[in-house]
Amino acid sequence: MTAPPLLSVEDLVVRYGAVTALHGVCLHVGAGEAVALLGANGAGKSTLMKALIGLMPAAAGRILLDGRPIQTLPADRRARLGIGYCPEGRRVFPGLTVRENLLVACWGNAALRRHRLESAYALFPALAEFRGSLAWQLSGGQQQMLAIARSLMDAPRLLLLDEPSLGLSPRLTDEVLDRIPTILAGGTAVLLAEQNATKALAVAGRGILFARGRVAAAGTAAELAASRDLHAAFLGG
Amino acid sequence: MPISQLLLGVLALGAAYALIALGFVLILNATGAVNFSQGDLVMAGGFGAVALGQALHWTGLALLPALLVGMAALGVVLAVLTYLPLRRRPPEAVFISTIAFGIILQNLANRLFGAEPLAAPSLLGAGRVRFAGVNASLQSLATIGVAALLIVALHVMFTHTQTGRRLRAMAQDRDVALAMGIPVDRMVVGTFAVAAALAGGAGLLLSNVFFVTPTSGGEYMVKAYIAVVIGGWGSIAGAVAGALLIAAFEVIYPSIPLLVPALLPWSDTAFSQTTSTIMLDAAVLLILMLRPQGLFGERVRQRP
Repeated sequence: MTAPPLLSVEDLVVRYGAVTALHGVCLHVGAGEAVALLGANGAGKSTLMKALIGLMPAAAGRILLDGRPIQTLPADRRARLGIGYCPEGRRVFPGLTVRENLLVACWGNAALRRHRLESAYALFPALAEFRGSLAWQLSGGQQQMLAIARSLMDAPRLLLLDEPSLGLSPRLTDEVLDRIPTILAGGTAVLLAEQNATKALAVAGRGILFARGRVAAAGTAAELAASRDLHAAFLGG
Repeated sequence: MPISQLLLGVLALGAAYALIALGFVLILNATGAVNFSQGDLVMAGGFGAVALGQALHWTGLALLPALLVGMAALGVVLAVLTYLPLRRRPPEAVFISTIAFGIILQNLANRLFGAEPLAAPSLLGAGRVRFAGVNASLQSLATIGVAALLIVALHVMFTHTQTGRRLRAMAQDRDVALAMGIPVDRMVVGTFAVAAALAGGAGLLLSNVFFVTPTSGGEYMVKAYIAVVIGGWGSIAGAVAGALLIAAFEVIYPSIPLLVPALLPWSDTAFSQTTSTIMLDAAVLLILMLRPQGLFGERVRQRP
């Protein structure tokens, strides 16, 4: 019998009041793998991310972590089971310093916290320089780096990375996305929601294309990059 | 009367008010809800000190740890009854439920202790201390010391412990705090416990000089509210500053005729305690009109 994948989503339905945002989504992410979640604005990528961490309730369907259903657990319990969440729009804690933003997300003793801080500063050296600054004082790119570093502070097995390129210049987007191989090498699988399909497929092994709350296509990065579905989804076809 | 004597009075009163305002602002930040029983918690702390003093015959300072623990437990009860069941409702629901809790406390106090004013034990005793031309009561010096200690302890907790940092994170973005693994509901209950303990400590400090009755909470509630409005809604440092400003006004305003003898004929009218209260409320209205964000504004800004 093969081990269950790290994350399985089965027939997930999510509603905002009377509006259904996800219509029975199925997907999986294996341990240590990077999967790109592609689709136009409003396709349901962020809703899926929120449903996975527990900030949106599942109206139907299941979310399994290591084969264990977690869709009824509150977000804090899911985080502690090894899911890191980097929200759309960064949402760093504005009145906490860079160092404090990182520390609050680490659930270990002082020695472990020190070690994880060092790892975070090694991943994003710019953060080390501003460790004492309040988070609202950082530039957009620095805030994005902080949000990613914060979501890694508890060494999650799965990182939900929601639109990290939003509002960043192409150069900064590259700088942020270029860290994904390092994150994978640390043993963390990444589910990357991204509007910039080309850049996302360059760092991910597989891609899943969303359109109007449904999985429209899925395949390896190479397959998806060549597919017409991708272009159709972004052109609204 | 020397200015230093007045300043000492301001500090003693302001430090006690600061504890009340801090508790109020902690709950406000953690939940977005206004705890309107904060004044009644001060009253409960005052009666708690009276009861403990009658039972044990210790000084107020020796009673303080037990009182803080007992008040923290009352804060947990407050959170479980008034906040947790209503946390998904609009903030007005909690606003009303805390008022109801305060009324229950008032009636309990009336049943247990009666309506007559009672005095809590003094912190160290009834002595006076003379230094540098100041003649100070031991009570006011000890009040400043105890309040300062509690405020510093709170500050250290917020800046140097994981729990304190997480409480601040939770106040700034509840959903993201949850997604970082922070058990928000449990942290909120802890915040209520800390806020009630601070109010109870203030009750012990204030009920020695000003006595305590079942209805003395209302006045403290209004002062905490004013302190938080003056200091900037949600600002912790602002709450302390606002409390000190209120105390300064209350102590100095009625004493102006003593400092400026030409004004003595009006000391019972324009400078009476009642006029002082009216002037304070007028000052708050003025601040709200001219500077709605409070005198100290916002600590956290949006990057342009």
